[in-house]
Amino acid sequence: MFIEYTWLVPLIPLLCFAIVGFFGKKTPEGGAYIAIAGAALACVISVLVAYEFFTSAAYSDPGYVTAQIVWFTLPGGYTLHFGYYIDSLACLMMLFASFISTLIFVYSKGYMHEQGVKKRRYYAEVSLFLTGMLGLAVSSNFLEMFIFWEIMGLCSYLLIGFWSFNHPEGDDAADNAASAAKKAFLVTRLGDVSLMAGLFVLLYTFGNLDYANMFSPLSLALADPNMILIGSLLIFGGVIGKSAQFPLLDWLPDAMAGPTTVSALIHAATMVKAGVYLVARCFPLFTQDPVIMLFVAVIGGITAFFAATMALNNMNIKRVLAYSTLSQLGYMFLALGTGGYLMALGLKNLDHHLVIAGAAGYVAGCLHMVNHAFFKALLFLGSGSVIHAVGTEDMRLMGGLRKKMRITSLAMLLGSLSIAGFPFFSGFWSKELILETVMHASDYGTEGYIFSILWMLGVVTAFMTAFYMFRMWYMTFGGKPRHASEHCHGESPASMTAPLMVLSIFAVGFGFTILFGFDSLISIGVDHTNALVVGGGEAKGFEYFTDIFESIYTYLTVALVLIAIGIAYVLYNKREFNPAKFSGDEKSVLYTALTKRWWFPQLYNQIGWKLGYGIARGVDFVDRQIIDGTVNGLSAAVTGGGEILSKGQSGDVRRYTGVVTAGIVVLFIGILAIFWYMEGI
Amino acid sequence: MDATIITDLFGEFTPIVPMLIMLLGALIMPAVTFGSKRRNAVTAAALVVIAASAAVNIVLLLADYTGTYAELFEYDAFAGLMVLLFQTVAFLVTLVSASSTETTRLHFGAFNALLLAATTGMMFVATANDLITIFVGVELASITSYLLAAMKRNDPRASEAAVKYVIVGGMSTAITIYGLSMLYGVAGTTNIEEIAVALSTQGFSWAFGIALVTMIAGYGFKIAAVPFHMWAPDVYEGSSTPVSAFLATGSKKLGIVVFFKIFLILFVAGTAVASFATEEVQYVFAIIAALTMTVGNVVAIAQNNIKRMLAYSSIAQAGYILIVLAVMSEYALAGGLFHMFTHVFMKGGAFLVVGALICAGVGEKISDYRGLGRRAPFLAFAMLLFLFSLAGIPPLAGFTSKLILFSATIYDGNGVMTQWIWLAFIAILNSAISLYYYARVVKAMYVETGDSEKIKVPKAFTAAIAICVLFTIVLGVYPQLILDFCSDAAAALFG
Repeated sequence: MFIEYTWLVPLIPLLCFAIVGFFGKKTPEGGAYIAIAGAALACVISVLVAYEFFTSAAYSDPGYVTAQIVWFTLPGGYTLHFGYYIDSLACLMMLFASFISTLIFVYSKGYMHEQGVKKRRYYAEVSLFLTGMLGLAVSSNFLEMFIFWEIMGLCSYLLIGFWSFNHPEGDDAADNAASAAKKAFLVTRLGDVSLMAGLFVLLYTFGNLDYANMFSPLSLALADPNMILIGSLLIFGGVIGKSAQFPLLDWLPDAMAGPTTVSALIHAATMVKAGVYLVARCFPLFTQDPVIMLFVAVIGGITAFFAATMALNNMNIKRVLAYSTLSQLGYMFLALGTGGYLMALGLKNLDHHLVIAGAAGYVAGCLHMVNHAFFKALLFLGSGSVIHAVGTEDMRLMGGLRKKMRITSLAMLLGSLSIAGFPFFSGFWSKELILETVMHASDYGTEGYIFSILWMLGVVTAFMTAFYMFRMWYMTFGGKPRHASEHCHGESPASMTAPLMVLSIFAVGFGFTILFGFDSLISIGVDHTNALVVGGGEAKGFEYFTDIFESIYTYLTVALVLIAIGIAYVLYNKREFNPAKFSGDEKSVLYTALTKRWWFPQLYNQIGWKLGYGIARGVDFVDRQIIDGTVNGLSAAVTGGGEILSKGQSGDVRRYTGVVTAGIVVLFIGILAIFWYMEGI
Repeated sequence: MDATIITDLFGEFTPIVPMLIMLLGALIMPAVTFGSKRRNAVTAAALVVIAASAAVNIVLLLADYTGTYAELFEYDAFAGLMVLLFQTVAFLVTLVSASSTETTRLHFGAFNALLLAATTGMMFVATANDLITIFVGVELASITSYLLAAMKRNDPRASEAAVKYVIVGGMSTAITIYGLSMLYGVAGTTNIEEIAVALSTQGFSWAFGIALVTMIAGYGFKIAAVPFHMWAPDVYEGSSTPVSAFLATGSKKLGIVVFFKIFLILFVAGTAVASFATEEVQYVFAIIAALTMTVGNVVAIAQNNIKRMLAYSSIAQAGYILIVLAVMSEYALAGGLFHMFTHVFMKGGAFLVVGALICAGVGEKISDYRGLGRRAPFLAFAMLLFLFSLAGIPPLAGFTSKLILFSATIYDGNGVMTQWIWLAFIAILNSAISLYYYARVVKAMYVETGDSEKIKVPKAFTAAIAICVLFTIVLGVYPQLILDFCSDAAAALFG
């Protein structure tokens, strides 16, 4: 009844985009109410669709509902479709993306209030952004998914560059915004190249790109395993770009140049989550070969660690949050990769227990994705509230805001506890489950030692996470007020604090769903046709509780988290020690390495700018100077008169046509070489 | 649909009726000019001629008409589709030429006559099935284009461009005719299908090898394939913008059509013979394609003049289309033909935007486009769509056509994998590079600030750009509109 109308979910925000885009100026608040209503309506429909799906017969068998129409037929006879594919994962994605976006839009009404006519552009673009994410969630095939994927890329470009002119902080900041926007677009595009190549490989391997067809055991068995390996790795290349994983992680921190609400949208509900979603979606495909999943896990573990180190000494409140997003995304990929690795081994060796152990990784990854969506949205919106009140992003100028902004500080505290993995907060459950799965995986396969290393990285990252989050909280809200805090004009308006309160509830409590059957709705397992199906697993419920608390490692992690919070308290709240003592007055090599982000940006600049632009300039020089110079003489000859004309004809024309002749000679020699090489003649 | 209305009326001339109408139009154009003295009237007359010619062609195309005239011209699905492409180009360019401030005022009748004559030449090539008619058609199109390139008011760059165009063009003609005569010497006939038969019995010979190289060089000039591309940026920059659009979208396609006509037919026949060495020649084309797209895209990064940038980008686009000759499958050809169509609208549209802005007094530098998003919202948005379509961003036309074209390098349409995957990677990587310089323009238009005074452009430009926008979107979301014709055309050429 409702599932047939799933297409409305992405369509409604798209309509809002059109309405706000064309008529936004005439509506109050630049179309804010339309955008909010659209997102809310999409959320309501998502709830109805999800409700109907979870209560329908299709939920238990075959585990999905799909319907599609023919989009176009390729000359080779391949048919490309357009339609929806609803399973537990799609429902989950749809629900939290639309819900959090609604809250962010409500918050935007207060946050963007002073932006004047630019509000129309803002609300139109965020609506389109939401269309991209919801469309991606319900897509029925890879090509459709790719289209929405690119729409999101485009929107992120426009939104990150939103303040590229008339920036509230002046022209330098505006230039930053513009270049950050371009960077985000181009870097993620690099991943998209890989993704598109992956689509071609998969289209060739499977004959079409429909999820329902590709994930069936029959097609998977018929497909060439090598092609699956290549295709899967290429697809994951796209994920690396979109979810800012190592080594393409540089664009996300710079993307902070956009309005804070956009950061919240990108980090919590959309964009970077698309990568996680895609890996979860491709589980049946990626588990065909343990190598793919091992790769996913390793990339995730490395990113989690590196990004966390970069957050340790950053002074910008939004950047700390950005690095923490990278790090948490790393956790998600670690979870999915590890779970998938176990599952791939299990499928290969027909070991049922391994498949179930792998499913735990999947559950942990998905749960962490949702938890992160809630606490990261909360943290970003909270930081937006702070920035709104004090007018700077530099934490060295804040401090002591606890008294002036009670709601914000409390919300941020809850969010920080959750992301740090403080016991019984949301982040705790998913993070412990992830670490436990990784620990579990180190017992299996020849690559077990890799997972031991990854586990250590994960634990150290948990320590660092707790440290930098509380460093941030104490620098902002604790201690005595510093320069900017003194000018703070108190708590933000209700449209901004209300979403914070709603998000706080979820950031604290959503993790408990794992004890009450989260995994009975979102899990993955082998069904009676031997297909890997997302959906109804057996709910382990309180078994997780005992699992987590019977493990000695849980207490280790919790102890590390508490120690980290304690260190942050002493250093940044009491301010009894000067943190600069540890870093040689901020001049030590490590400190510099961290502020310079391990020199990644420089590396990219060297490669991208110097090499790429240098080559372009060089080729252009030959193309333009040598040849153009000749012809300038020639044209002067034509317009100037006979005397120069003769000169032009005597020397320069020959050189010009000489290039063509040389081309022919090269072509001829080339053909000879190829023929000789291939022994054609 | 039934073509009897036309066959009854024109009898044996039916296959060349679209060209005859255009030719007639070209001849009466000066008379119209002297009669009315108004540029708009001349344009209207030219548009009526093109529309009449297109109407006949569309009827023939929909009726699946096939027929030959004097064994020199053959009308089939391929010819019909390419004729339609050239008519589309001519229509768009004619529509804007009267209101452009760059085009000649004094010789406006001649300008239109030349434009129609050039289009006629292109259409003759599309229907030709004989080396002689191909050569004559190409020359008709070339010589008129030299004149069109020179016809810009008060700009020395135009004379520079035209002279350069003439000299290199003349040289390439000489080289071409040398190759054609070699081919005639080898096969003893000028009919392409008979040449194919002769070659498939003889196998490869060095005389044919020389013919091959010289023809690639000669017609490679038309396509602006690397290393015969250098004239293109100068000529596109120097000519009036409607003419640049005509050259970039029409004239370039002419060379590609010749390549398809000669080489595909020859090699499809040749694959039957082991000694023919088709695969080696495919590699030659693959390397030329890879070089062309890479050089085009890389050099485009360093350009500051938008017309030069678009010129290099169309060199790159030609490189993508040359993939067809490397892969040589029916599927690839269908994708290539589709890309040629989408390219008309996105690249033509981009040139028209540039032309419209020049009329409004905006310069050709990318930095002149600062703040365009506010000064001319429609033009800036159209430009954004065209550029993103060229870069291959879904769901625009460029994405769909690239999807089909690039996927052709991986499988041949019958479920068999080809050995050209590396070409697909180069092509996809190239389209990622291209986004860099397209994004520069978008950034200038939307992100940077410039003058704030509104821009008004002639209505004809707005109309032509709107047509291009429409097709850039429609062909993206509903490619089947033209794709079926492309499949039929590919099947017709592969016989």
